[in-house]
Order: sequence, then structure tokens, then C-alpha cells
Amino acid sequence: MQDALSTTFAALADPTRRAILARLSSGESSVSDLAKPFAMSAPAITKHLKVLQRAGLISQGRQAQWRPCKLEAQPLREAADWVAQYRQHWEDRLDRLEDYLATLQAPSTEEKP
Amino acid sequence: MTAHAPFTISRWLKAPRPLVWEVYSSPEHLQHWLGPKGSTVTHSQLDFQVGGTYHYAMKVEGGMELWGKWLFLELQAPEKLVLIQCFSDPQGGATRNPWAAGWPMYTHSTTTLTEQDGGTLMTLVWAPHEATAEEEALFAASHDSMRQGWGGNLDVLEDYLSLLQTA
Repeated sequence: MQDALSTTFAALADPTRRAILARLSSGESSVSDLAKPFAMSAPAITKHLKVLQRAGLISQGRQAQWRPCKLEAQPLREAADWVAQYRQHWEDRLDRLEDYLATLQAPSTEEKP
Repeated sequence: MTAHAPFTISRWLKAPRPLVWEVYSSPEHLQHWLGPKGSTVTHSQLDFQVGGTYHYAMKVEGGMELWGKWLFLELQAPEKLVLIQCFSDPQGGATRNPWAAGWPMYTHSTTTLTEQDGGTLMTLVWAPHEATAEEEALFAASHDSMRQGWGGNLDVLEDYLSLLQTA
């Protein structure tokens, strides 16, 4: 029942996780550096990272000793597209309503549906 | 009750309030404006009264046909319209959002019409109805978290996303 979009939004629903993503948008970071600004235990941060990782929003390097975390843009982009569409859906409907009301009030139009 | 802020949108319309009300109250009128541009309403069956329903289908760009249903909870001509809406099948049964299964099955919308500056101000307030906490969170994340909850961080992410799109 969990589709990709729902998983992404569930991951984004938490302010700490959003802060982590914002932090990663300026570049890769080690887990310990990521944890620094938060008044949170290391296991708590790790838990948040796991949620982000499962949602495909971040990935963690394998080679380097410090295993840097990296932002993965694709799911975020899909979420952003969804949000844009969502508002657009209503804007479109209102545009159409506006046009239709104009048609109904146009003096030259005899059309009375 | 939802803990999240509902989605709201308003638009000033250059039309007298009774006319705006009228275009909601007949299936022929609804057919003319309900779908987004480029879509065609292919089914429009309306029982405009409290407890009545509106069952519709629209063909959107790309050929996909979407069915939906409204249930009218409150109709106060010409100023207030409250309804529950859901995606549906051709028989009128409620279905899940075809794009996001975690979306609330039912949503609740209140449309208010106010006379203003020689026209009508329409305000729509949209919120989940009888949804689970997860569904409410998804609904909210689709507008307020992304817009407000991100706070100052949103700009950074937006810049980053636009950078990726141009790359």
C-alpha cells in the first residue's frame, strides 16, 4: 500500500529529517558532523538517517572510512513535482471557472447551457 | 480533527455571487469548468441537495479517465457549499488516489462565496476527512510542510533542485 510518494512524504513529515536534508543539500557530510547541530543521541540520529535512506532520499558511501551521507535528488524532485501539481490542479480549475463565468456574461453570447 | 493546517486557496471572480452559485448547481454548468484545461468531462450526474451526490468522470490529457464523487453536506445558497469528495469507480464506489495510495480516501471541502468589489471572492478550504494520522501527514506534507515547515531551508532545496534540473 506504501507507494514511493507516500514513503517520501512520510520521511519528510519530520522536522529533524527535513533539517538533515537541508544540511546535505550543501554537500556530503559524515554522520557525526550531521548529528552535531541536534540535541539528540547518536542512535536517534541514526534512526532518522535510516528512515531517509529507506525512502531513497539519502545514500551512504561505502568506500570512505567516514561513510559520508549524500542527498539523493530524485525522490525529492518527484515530491516537489507533486506539490506543484497539487496547487496547479486547483489553480487550473479556478482558471477554467473564471473563463466560463466570463463566457456566460459576455453580451454577444446567446449560449445558455 | 486534524492537527495540520488545511489547504486553502482563494480567487476573486468577476461575476455576481448568484451566478457563481449557479454554475455549481447544474450538471451542464459543472461539465463546462470542472476539469483542468485540456480535459473533458465525460460523465456528470448531479443531485444538488444536502445528502445528494455529484458523480463525474473526466478525461485528462494523455487519455486517462478519472472518476470522482462528491457528497453534499451543507448547501447555503448562494454563499456556502460543504462537501466530502473522493476518487471513485464508474459505479460510484470510493477508491484510492491513483497516484498516491497513502492519500486520504475522503477529503472535506468548504467553499465560501463572499460579495466583494463588484465581484465574488471564492475561498476553498480543503482538509482530510476520517483519515489516519499517516494519511493526514501525507495530505499536509503536500502543502504546508513543503511550503512553511521547510522554513528557510526551502529556498536552499529549491535552488538545489533547480540546479539539478538544469544540469
